[in-house]
Amino acid sequence: MRLTALDEVATELGLRHGQGLAEARAMYPAIDVAEEDPTADRALLEAIADWCDRYTPLVALDGSDGLFLDITGCTHLFGGEQALLDDILLRLFQMGFKVQGAISGSPGLSWAICRFGHGGVIEDGGGEEVLASLPVASLRIGGETIAALNKLGLKQVGDLLSMPRAGLARRFGGHLLLRLDQALGHEEEPISPRRPVALLSIERKLAEAIQAEEEILELAARMALSLRASLEARGVGGRVFELVLFRVDGRVFRISAGASRPLRDPQKIAGLFTERLKSVHDELDAGFGFELFRLNVLQHDLCEASQDNLLGKAEGEAPLADLIDRVSARLGEDVLQAFQLRESHIPERAVFAHPALGHEAETGGKPYPAVMTERERPLRLLARPEPVEAFAAIVPDGPPSRFRWRRVLHDVARAEGPERISPEWWLDQETAQERDYFRLEVASGHRFWVYRQGHYSADYRPTWHMHGIFA
Amino acid sequence: MAKHATAQERLFALRETIAKLEGKTPTLVSEEPQGERMAATGKGSRRIALGVDELDAALEGGLPLDGMTEIRTCAMRNAGAGSGFVLALAALIQQQAKAPALLWISDRFSNVEAGLPYPIGLAQYGLQVRHFLHALPKKLEDALWLAETAAASGALAATILEIRGNPSAFGLSESRRLSLRAKAARRPILLLRHASEEEASSAVFRFHAEPGPAAERVLPNGTMLGGSIGFPVFRLTLEKSRNPAPLSFLLEWNSRDRQFCPARQPEPSRLAGDATAHSGPRLPASADGSDRAAALGRLLAFDRAS
Repeated sequence: MRLTALDEVATELGLRHGQGLAEARAMYPAIDVAEEDPTADRALLEAIADWCDRYTPLVALDGSDGLFLDITGCTHLFGGEQALLDDILLRLFQMGFKVQGAISGSPGLSWAICRFGHGGVIEDGGGEEVLASLPVASLRIGGETIAALNKLGLKQVGDLLSMPRAGLARRFGGHLLLRLDQALGHEEEPISPRRPVALLSIERKLAEAIQAEEEILELAARMALSLRASLEARGVGGRVFELVLFRVDGRVFRISAGASRPLRDPQKIAGLFTERLKSVHDELDAGFGFELFRLNVLQHDLCEASQDNLLGKAEGEAPLADLIDRVSARLGEDVLQAFQLRESHIPERAVFAHPALGHEAETGGKPYPAVMTERERPLRLLARPEPVEAFAAIVPDGPPSRFRWRRVLHDVARAEGPERISPEWWLDQETAQERDYFRLEVASGHRFWVYRQGHYSADYRPTWHMHGIFA
Repeated sequence: MAKHATAQERLFALRETIAKLEGKTPTLVSEEPQGERMAATGKGSRRIALGVDELDAALEGGLPLDGMTEIRTCAMRNAGAGSGFVLALAALIQQQAKAPALLWISDRFSNVEAGLPYPIGLAQYGLQVRHFLHALPKKLEDALWLAETAAASGALAATILEIRGNPSAFGLSESRRLSLRAKAARRPILLLRHASEEEASSAVFRFHAEPGPAAERVLPNGTMLGGSIGFPVFRLTLEKSRNPAPLSFLLEWNSRDRQFCPARQPEPSRLAGDATAHSGPRLPASADGSDRAAALGRLLAFDRAS
């Protein structure tokens, strides 16, 4: 076992990364060792990234121990770059993290200054000067390249800056120059934010944290009211909303809710969250309260403006869409399903279920595209065909005269069939067998849909399956 | 005279209350010719006729559109008949409703046992599948909440709630809640209970459904196609109603015309243990062979042994 991370005391004692645990213990028997847990570290980093959402929506993870924040256009909200950096570092320090931070014109430069310099804000144009005194490792290049550079006596970035570029590229490849250009800001380097940027967003910072569910909902309704003007200006209504709650101690909760049609009405938007809050009730631990709220519109759609009538109710209210929204918000989108048909003869493939949320058919728009079969189909179809013990009365194509399903013996009174359904060779393997379906009525009056897979032959006995139940 | 009029008034109000409790329209009990007043105050519950006169008479006009109707089966193997009857009722309701959407709230266990509703089969059964929504809640509490919300929203023609057995979480108070919601929103709830016992509930009617042998298919010339399986037939028992005794009947659902009709075959006699009525062997008398051997000896008419 080897050491992978050290705290300040251990560093002062002279322990190193990659040192054997036994060796370290022999030097200092009193050291405290905790096993590395990469998943927990990752979760912690993501929690901090969530928390950093309060500064900017563009937060990207950097390796296992860093974060990139794109603060373009955000700094004035916090009183300038220096004030923003101080605020982040102070708050994180109060939470118990030792963090190094830097603000500069390019991600590469910030990375270099954070890890090899002293941090702080670097003004535009000052990058080259700061970078020159840093070791070449600060360029985010591989270990082999660093070793090769050091061998040649190129220890600092400043040494590279004075070298001819052509020679460097020939010797060390284009990657080194790319990194150098990225650090100096000559080359654009995008960061990849963890979450999609909200289309519209509104934020409320509270002087006093709130805990009660009703207060949260009231606030959501008020934010939705402020959002209404922006939605109307764009001529759209929101389809997917997200309420982000920042708890006082830094934990962040995200609650998203979808609507089946574009929404603008603040009461309806708040209504979505009423159901959502009820369903996430146990997970939403208010603790000492929430201090910062944000309402995001993650997805929106065109929405015709409708005029309210004199009673204050808009024309064309859709109670079914409201119901679908409420149910989907409370129980999840997968709970409520609608059906679509598909062109297929295989019974289980001819139909598929999809969430009713966003389903166009019930609004009367889309007709059924696929053609339905004329042959009789059961009311209820088993999720998987179940094996049946049966023998055909008339070989090879007859229905069974009696069969055993779920350990109950049924005597067949009447039978209709067979209806032969061939496998879809372009999806199934070519060895897939044909199915012969029979409608059976047994002596007790139950009606079943049974099929035989394959054909009887001298050396093959096909299997029988129960597939559906008729009324 | 004035005093007499007040007494009349009070008596009348009491009668009206009783009539409401009994679920009848007040006009039925009033002997006095106060028709216009009745029309103003008494709102009868909306009913949908099943189209079979005898049954509609037993149901006092049909299935209530502002209440809960329970359909139960005694075992899971009858799930097909139970679902079939419920869906036939739903098809009838959907045909006449302004909002055609239907919601089927299913029970996970029943889905595993009896299968999921199959849209093509539903369409052939007479339902508009475009307006058919299917819900799969994880817990019974969710299902109850969903049924309540769906009925109260008034957006659906009918809500079908599928439950297995007699769970303690769905007792009298829950069923009362559901039926009150249905009454307030004036939308029907159909409760389908698989494999269940008879249990007190606040449903207006309770049917017990079993499958019956189907009639044969009718050919265009009016004859039957021998050995074919025609429209489904249910053996129904109206267990809870205002009738003094449970009423049994066979009903056929004509999915093409979307209507019920009484099944044509007579109900087979049902004796205990499924024994047949003629227990002896019914062999035909031999026609062209020798007769059976005569009993030996002489037959004497003895007196009863004393």
